Amino acid sequence: MEEPTSRFDEDSTLRSRLEADPEPALRWAAVMAALALVQIGSLLGGLLSILDAAVVGVTAIFDVLFGLVGLTGASAAVVDVQSALSGAVTTARDAAEGLPTLLSRETIPNQGHLASADGPWVDTFLGLEPALAWAVRVLLIVGYSLFTFYWLFRGWLVFRAHYRQADWTPTDDMIDRLRDHRWGQFGIFVLALFLIMALFGPALGPTTVSQNIVSPYSHEVTYFNADAGAVETVAAGDANFNSKSKGAGDQNVGPMTYDNFNRFHPFGTLPNGRDLFTFMMGGARITLIVAGLAIGLSALIAGGLAMVSAFYGGNIDLTLLTTADGIVSVPRLLLLIMISAIFANHWLAGVLDGGFLLALIFAFTGWPFLWRAVRGPALQVAQEEWVDAAESFGQPPRTIMRKHMFPYITGYLLVYASMSTGGIIVGLAALSFLGNGLGITPPTPAWGRAVSLGQSYVSGPSWHISFIPGAMIVVLVTGLNALGDGIRDAIDPESAGGDDDEAAAGGGA
Amino acid sequence: MSEPVLSVSNLRTVFHTDRETIRAVDGVSFDVGRGETVGIVGESGSGKSVTARSIMGLVESPGEILPGSSIRFNGQELTEFDDAQYREIRGSGIGMVFQDPQKSLNPVYTVGNQIIEALEENQDLTGEEAREEAIDLLEAVAIPDAPRRLDEYPHEFSGGMRQRAMIAMMLACDPEFLICDEPTTALDVTIEAQILELLQELQEERGLSILFITHDMGVIAEIADRVNVMYAGEIVETAPVEELFASPTHPYTEGLLDAIPGRQDGSEQLRTIEGDVPTANEAASHCRFAPRCEHAFDACEQAHPQHVEVGPEHTAACLLYPGEKSRSERVEHHRAQAETGGDHE
Amino acid sequence: MNRLTYLAKRLALGVPVVLFGLTMSFLIMYRGPIDPVMTILGRDATASDIRQLRIALGYIRPNGTQVPIWEQYATVMYDLFTLQFGQSWIIQRGVPVTEVIGNRMPATLWLGWWSVVIALLFGIPIGLFAGLKANSWSDYLASGGGIIWRAMPNFWLAVMLAGSLSAGGALGWYRGLGSDYGLKTDVIGTPDEVGNLFTVVDLFQGVPVLELLFLPIPNVGNVLIAFKWILPAALVLGSASMGNEIRIGRTAVLESINSKYVETAKAKGLSSRRIIVKHVGRNAVVPLLPVIMGEFYLLIGGSVLVEKVFSINGLGNLFFRAVLGPDIPVVMGLVFIFVVIQVLMNILQDLLYTMVDPRITLEDAGR
Repeated sequence: MEEPTSRFDEDSTLRSRLEADPEPALRWAAVMAALALVQIGSLLGGLLSILDAAVVGVTAIFDVLFGLVGLTGASAAVVDVQSALSGAVTTARDAAEGLPTLLSRETIPNQGHLASADGPWVDTFLGLEPALAWAVRVLLIVGYSLFTFYWLFRGWLVFRAHYRQADWTPTDDMIDRLRDHRWGQFGIFVLALFLIMALFGPALGPTTVSQNIVSPYSHEVTYFNADAGAVETVAAGDANFNSKSKGAGDQNVGPMTYDNFNRFHPFGTLPNGRDLFTFMMGGARITLIVAGLAIGLSALIAGGLAMVSAFYGGNIDLTLLTTADGIVSVPRLLLLIMISAIFANHWLAGVLDGGFLLALIFAFTGWPFLWRAVRGPALQVAQEEWVDAAESFGQPPRTIMRKHMFPYITGYLLVYASMSTGGIIVGLAALSFLGNGLGITPPTPAWGRAVSLGQSYVSGPSWHISFIPGAMIVVLVTGLNALGDGIRDAIDPESAGGDDDEAAAGGGA
Repeated sequence: MSEPVLSVSNLRTVFHTDRETIRAVDGVSFDVGRGETVGIVGESGSGKSVTARSIMGLVESPGEILPGSSIRFNGQELTEFDDAQYREIRGSGIGMVFQDPQKSLNPVYTVGNQIIEALEENQDLTGEEAREEAIDLLEAVAIPDAPRRLDEYPHEFSGGMRQRAMIAMMLACDPEFLICDEPTTALDVTIEAQILELLQELQEERGLSILFITHDMGVIAEIADRVNVMYAGEIVETAPVEELFASPTHPYTEGLLDAIPGRQDGSEQLRTIEGDVPTANEAASHCRFAPRCEHAFDACEQAHPQHVEVGPEHTAACLLYPGEKSRSERVEHHRAQAETGGDHE
Repeated sequence: MNRLTYLAKRLALGVPVVLFGLTMSFLIMYRGPIDPVMTILGRDATASDIRQLRIALGYIRPNGTQVPIWEQYATVMYDLFTLQFGQSWIIQRGVPVTEVIGNRMPATLWLGWWSVVIALLFGIPIGLFAGLKANSWSDYLASGGGIIWRAMPNFWLAVMLAGSLSAGGALGWYRGLGSDYGLKTDVIGTPDEVGNLFTVVDLFQGVPVLELLFLPIPNVGNVLIAFKWILPAALVLGSASMGNEIRIGRTAVLESINSKYVETAKAKGLSSRRIIVKHVGRNAVVPLLPVIMGEFYLLIGGSVLVEKVFSINGLGNLFFRAVLGPDIPVVMGLVFIFVVIQVLMNILQDLLYTMVDPRITLEDAGR
């Protein structure tokens, strides 16, 4: 391996390098600032949502821990802290979402109605028909986000070209190989699309989760009533009631059509008349949060334990092996069903609409697969001379693992994490599909539930209800597998692919 | 000299990639006489192995043997053969021993199984008869305890043993002609000597003709009757082995010989040729060795050297020859030769 | 090390794994925040009923003191390892668990068997074919199909297939397929009763599970009906494995076909048929083994969903209902069976490894 070389003085700081040649950084930052400013409200809102989830997650873990060791008082205190913090964050988020945002439902509204039987459309963006207004907004948001993602990557390139201490690092080669890897790029693109859905879901839907799904009776719909020949207003819930997709000829609102209330449904409606597209966007958010949390946790556990078992070997390794085999010996879906059924009424199941508990379960049942996959590379690196050397200098094990072993196994961890995420997403959907208190708590949207709702209408005109959610899962899972393939080829171009560990990663649920 | 067993002329094998066409073998011609051992020597990347694979008909897409190439084996034109015809030639006609015996033996079958398979295919021996013959063959390549070894798997053999088994397997095909592609490269020096000795014995016993490919001039000296020096897809010098070692003419050959330890008297340091073999991706209009050649002059970049007789059965393709002419005359000579069809395209 | 010693050693090593799996399930089921007593008796239960039941279930002693958790644990584990599975609490109150499971096992075995066979029958040949024809259109089609096939969630595929095949009109062609020959079945649920003879339940009922394997074919018509009935479900259940087999099979063949030993075999003058069957084939099986053996694992989990969608009264469905109950003895019995089979399959896989690939010795198999 080549020694990373440097163009700069060894002790120059990033700051001094920036001051020496500020132009590329300024140019990049100017564009980035413009991008951020345009969407400031929704960006802050998104960030605060993540913060909120993090607060809930962290306090929940403490709460569980205190509960386990019997410190009920401390546990209660934690809950107080959580609600206080959460409340503050929510207030801040509401304020943030009040900030002007260019690509929002307010600036490009699609919810309007006909003024008379022949139009024109009222209250929509530029008087366009709702479908068009919605399409404009969606395209702008997707375009904006893709460009922002690209620009962030560009930022790294600028850093690498102008400010990085090292001239070359092995990561550069990996990134460059990934830039030539069409299949891997497909994966990145798919993942980016779904991230956009999760982040901008509220702005992407033709309506919002709260208006249409959670509290439809607190919101109203204005529409042109063709029978009465007048513009009328009804509760969204009532409109939903009359927009059901139940297969029969007059009870179906298919993809890319309007219902009788001047509302456009890109994916059609559910059997209860709610908008499937909005439902899917809401589902994307919870799905990605759960999958991200779960895979992050399992990767953390798996990576840590893999290094521990590789570094110490012997009985520690054997114990871990038995533990992992033991967890794996109960088929994962069965374990998932058992744990979520038993905890269905526990307060933990209320956090993130059940998503938090599910993420914990997925992490607990998933780490053995990841651990098995990275244990090999970890064992390999543990036998390298530089690890022995570091040990002989008297470096503590923790430092050795962090500095010498971790960078080596990260790549493998990424590959298998990417591939197992597909399994988590499918598993989560499967639980929501089974229902009966498993999966995400209704009415919060969940992809699996949509499949289950449409189950009886597959062969009729309302085929879209089950088909679209499943097809989206297939796309996302395929994308994640492609991303995994891409990263694998990027870190190890010699590998022939086709690892047997993947066997457990895909479908199965 | 009698009719050669193998006669290769103007062999050109290319590999098509997305970006370019690589001329791995670019106009190679040589003969192998009956019972003779001909060596091909050159650095890695010079096209030796591709030459061997071209003769065996093992060049597959994206590789291609260009039209105009000729490989005559016992008077048959192999380049016109289809798969089925080639199959008749492989094994019983031409056998091949590969470089890496570890990878060349199928790990999931016993050595005996793989030898017997060759016997069944090429000598129509079956059952006990084939087994007896396989044991004889293992003994012939000096593997002790042959009956037991027959039922062992390749991974239970040592490196040298594996190469012996590989040779036994090729002998099981009973070929007239054997191609050895760096058969000793992966082995220890002592084992290498044993294998070379074995090959020579077998050649005498069975009247084999051998094409021996290696990058090692020392090995060539040991085993070959004639030597072809290959560089960047071309043969740059050809001569009987003693002649070549006594009076090398091409600067590349000189370089290779200088790189053998203990050959230069008085000189403390081993001389090496700087740089790597270039990848030939277009027709040569110059000397491909020129960038690494210490005798290179301007014309080397402009004229493609042709083979010139420099001794008895000894030719070299270099603008330094024929030595009796002046530099400009020599360049003219090579240019004229190239135009009268000595060169291709 | 000979095979017997090895087997004994592996079985011994399997015990802690089984124990761990069961302990985990015990903790979840017994220490989880759910009280089976209330579920069984309902809200209106009297205090004495509850007391009675608690004693019966082993939560408290007749004198009213709590049974310590470790004692409950010991009892449950002892019973499981001595194959005393007890009686069902909820699903079929009072019926021995073995009977509850035994009644539903044939359907799942039938489903599992066909899902494995179909996946193997299609997945491996397609994978091998794609590898042999690498980078051709048929290869792109096969590998692309494999990639998508294995990304499809079982439950979704089941819903789509069940929905379209059981529909009326042209979509429902499957129902009528072969009905002239008496092969009238529904896709969802048990086959139509064309006389009692023609129900799948009758194919197996009353036959102890082990004897099923040695049963003479009862009636070709019945078997065909049973096959037609299970085919869509089996196809779905095998889908993930099939996708994997296509993928791994393709890579394995490619790797093998570009290997030096295949070149050697060609140099020996062997025919391409023989090279592919003998030299490529066996080497390609090595990486396929874990996929094939892994099918079992995917199968148990998947059967819950597939059996639910296709309304098959098998073990998957039983497990789901038992967990929701919670019918703890049935859950523990099922987990015990699954885990034991899983451990046995692992051992079998390692033994097969040593048979297919002589480089793997019994010592290093499985680690």
